[in-house]
Amino acid sequence: MTTDTILIRPIDQLLLAIMIFVIMFGMGASLRGEDFREALKRPRALLIGFLSQFGLMPLLAFALAILLRLEAPLAVALVLIGCLPGGTTSNMFAYFGRGSVALSVSMTAASTILALLMMPLLLAFYAPRIFARLSSVGVDENTVFVIPHGNIIASLILVLVPVGLGMLLRHFSRPWAKTAEDTAGFAGIVVILYLILTAALRNGRMFIETTPSLYLASIGIGLSGFVFGWGMAWLSRLEPRYRRTISLETGIQNGPIAIAIILLSFRDSIRDEMLWLAILYSTFIVITASIITLIYRKCGQYDWELHRNRVIHLRLFGSDYQAPYPPLLAAADPQSQPLTRKYRQDSPR
Amino acid sequence: MANSPPNLQPRNIGDLYRLASVHYGGMPAFATRTENPDEWLPLSFHELYRKGQALALALAELGLKRQENIAVFADNRVEWIIADCAVQLCGAVNVPRGSDTTDGELTFILKHCGARFCIVENARMLKRVSNVCEKAQLHVQLIQMVDSHQVSSANTIAKLIKTGLELLESNSAICNNIDNNLASLKPDDGFTLIYTSGTTGDPKGVLLSHGNMLAQISHIPIPIHWCDRVLSILPIWHVYERVLEMITIARGACTYYSSVRHFAEDLLRIEPTFMASAPRLWERLHARILQTVANAHPIRRGLFHMACFFSHHYHASVSWLGGHSVREKRPILLLDCLRTVLECFRWSLFLPLHGFFNAAVLERVRLSVGGCLRGTISGGGALPRSIDRFFNAIGIAVLEGYGLTETSPVLAVRRLDCRVQTTVGPMIPETQLRIVDIEMGTPLYPDSGRSDNGRMRKGEIQVRGPQVMREYYNNPEATERAFVDGWFRTGDLGMVTWNDCLRIVGRCKETIVLLSGENLEPGPLEMRLRQSPLIEQCMVVGQDQKNLGALIVPSQDAKTAARDDSELKKRLDQEVRQLISAANGFKSYERIRAIAVLSQAFAVGDELTPLFKLRRHVIEEKYRAEIAALFNTTS
Repeated sequence: MTTDTILIRPIDQLLLAIMIFVIMFGMGASLRGEDFREALKRPRALLIGFLSQFGLMPLLAFALAILLRLEAPLAVALVLIGCLPGGTTSNMFAYFGRGSVALSVSMTAASTILALLMMPLLLAFYAPRIFARLSSVGVDENTVFVIPHGNIIASLILVLVPVGLGMLLRHFSRPWAKTAEDTAGFAGIVVILYLILTAALRNGRMFIETTPSLYLASIGIGLSGFVFGWGMAWLSRLEPRYRRTISLETGIQNGPIAIAIILLSFRDSIRDEMLWLAILYSTFIVITASIITLIYRKCGQYDWELHRNRVIHLRLFGSDYQAPYPPLLAAADPQSQPLTRKYRQDSPR
Repeated sequence: MANSPPNLQPRNIGDLYRLASVHYGGMPAFATRTENPDEWLPLSFHELYRKGQALALALAELGLKRQENIAVFADNRVEWIIADCAVQLCGAVNVPRGSDTTDGELTFILKHCGARFCIVENARMLKRVSNVCEKAQLHVQLIQMVDSHQVSSANTIAKLIKTGLELLESNSAICNNIDNNLASLKPDDGFTLIYTSGTTGDPKGVLLSHGNMLAQISHIPIPIHWCDRVLSILPIWHVYERVLEMITIARGACTYYSSVRHFAEDLLRIEPTFMASAPRLWERLHARILQTVANAHPIRRGLFHMACFFSHHYHASVSWLGGHSVREKRPILLLDCLRTVLECFRWSLFLPLHGFFNAAVLERVRLSVGGCLRGTISGGGALPRSIDRFFNAIGIAVLEGYGLTETSPVLAVRRLDCRVQTTVGPMIPETQLRIVDIEMGTPLYPDSGRSDNGRMRKGEIQVRGPQVMREYYNNPEATERAFVDGWFRTGDLGMVTWNDCLRIVGRCKETIVLLSGENLEPGPLEMRLRQSPLIEQCMVVGQDQKNLGALIVPSQDAKTAARDDSELKKRLDQEVRQLISAANGFKSYERIRAIAVLSQAFAVGDELTPLFKLRRHVIEEKYRAEIAALFNTTS
């Protein structure tokens, strides 16, 4: 990418700032105090989710940056994306991907608060290692720059202010909060589309000039988040529907925060290319998350139907009702062995 | 799916209950509402079989014989199924009927089937039936289903089950009798005797065999398994509901008994995954969803219509690419290729739009009907085109089917993977179809002599298959009339489309012949009229008249909106003229020239069959004066 490319004009910056404010405000409006309390009810899933979001994801970003030999600013941007808290859209994807919306919401809420502590820590941990690795593989020493930790914390706080305001709004007026939430969802799409379109119109070259490794990085970080997040939840023997939730929550990051931090914290010469990576990530994650969601919908159908059935039975038949449904069968097709198969008979009530 | 349940292969219906108990055991089979609408009582497959077994022993003790008719007069409830299980285990034949039956019909049925035992739902029904028996001097032993307000002399099911359980415990070998009984039943033996409330004449007893029912269970292509919740609101004594419940048992799913009154809340409470109903219900649901949308914020309304638009185009292209668009003309290869290219373009254009709006808007609409509905079957009447399209567009698959009580009942039904609109889908397996010219009696389809095999030619539908009844009970003349060369005459008009799906056009006997000699089907006209918000029900008349007239029951809205009767009539007249006009694709002789406004709605059991079909002869009789007046004023 050429350095003279002007991605963001001052007017765009202002627009972006307003949009980010609206989006974060809407996110706050969708969070309830109960979500945080709810979160404490399933500590195990939440802990795995935490490890996956703040342990696994930054590590994946770091590994990807090294593997693709990204330049230092891009590598830092990638790790920054890896350290982000979960995005609000993950709740919708969790809903359609037959996951647990409650877990998704509580993970989003918890990670947004924890990001205040974790993001600076993680960046402080990974940034020196990026520079060390890069110089050892012979990348130009000049690209090394200082990570503005103070700025990052400041911008994080700045971003979290509208979240708090949104929560306050929800506390006072539910209908207004609902409107804010819907507006924000729409605004999110508009921002991404606007950035992509202006970039394409003003310099279509950018898409051609973007190196394959940058494309790979922006797509790969989300995808590997989905895959490894699921794997980690699977290794921890969590319920299938929690696995799907953690997977989606790990891969889907809060893009607007990354854009805000990059805008507010880094100097002009490297800012644009870092921003470009964040925008590419935000675009591709919608597509990859949709595909993963479709796959989860298909594969998780039986498990989800069992779960729904259980929920409704408990609701209608009393909270101590149990029916001996057969557990998820392995790939074996019961149609091929019809009458010989015996399932668990009446379980003791 | 890797997790589909075992494929039960019962030898008869009693065996089905046994196998279900073995394979599904403690899973819930049926659930009913208690006094508190939020608390439901489940009955497991195991309990169902156990209770059925006990009741069967007690009934056998009372003297119920194999293949004997036993009347069951009750509406949907879980005791009905236990009683059915018991009757099937005894190898007897049940004669079911609901509480909306008239005393005349009850007398006719009891006399005609010669039942010695009759199971009645409650004390009220008990009183009615014993009065009927007294008048007709019938000796029938009554058994009551529910204990409340018990008449001391009558046996109750609970009491009999208790006796049966004691018998079972004292002597476990006693079950062998039941098993022997079951093993000796042949597929041709009777399973149930259903008196059609038919649209014409005296009720006829349709004797369905175990073979008929088993063929339906294995051939009806509905995708349910043990995780499904099936909502039941149609009368159980009707074979359409009955066969669905049997399939539900065979697949291990749970049936929840709802009612028309509680239907709306039960959708949200139970979140059904599957259900079956008559078109009237879809019309009502459609009206309710539109009402909610109309009351919503203008932006939301706009979004909803946009979502429907995108969804419609997306689904239209999908159904073409999947080969399920309705084909009325002979396919031409070149045009098809061209269209496929265009449809591919349309598909890729609408995929992202539909994807977004489906998730953001339509999911909320689906949540208003429970959110889990995977599919629904509509039968027992024609489903209006626009309603069919609406539900498919919002992502609820409505599978329209076709059948008669005599064919136990399903002959053809759309499948989830073959949803050809405006048709009732392909014939189900092992069912043969032919279309016969009404006047000449010559076969029109299949006709190997023609290159189109006789497709798209209109005639009477005649069928042959394992689900077709053998005879009307003790009514050889009616049986004689119902069959021709071994083919069953349905009395319905139909044609076969180029997708090899069946389309129902009307009823042979309903066809109105005007003085001018024009033949027309009242069905489509009535369907169009009923979609008006002003019209609740209607019937088109005009046999041997110069032109058509209509009897109209105005909706409550129309009544409240009009100041007096004459204004109401004027409005309705306008509405009818506007709906049945050339602009809406109706021919000039189909215009309705005169209407009569009826003050009283048609009632189920009187002017309507339980599936809300018009009993034309009853209505013609009842409103003879009004109909005569219609044609006097206009002539």
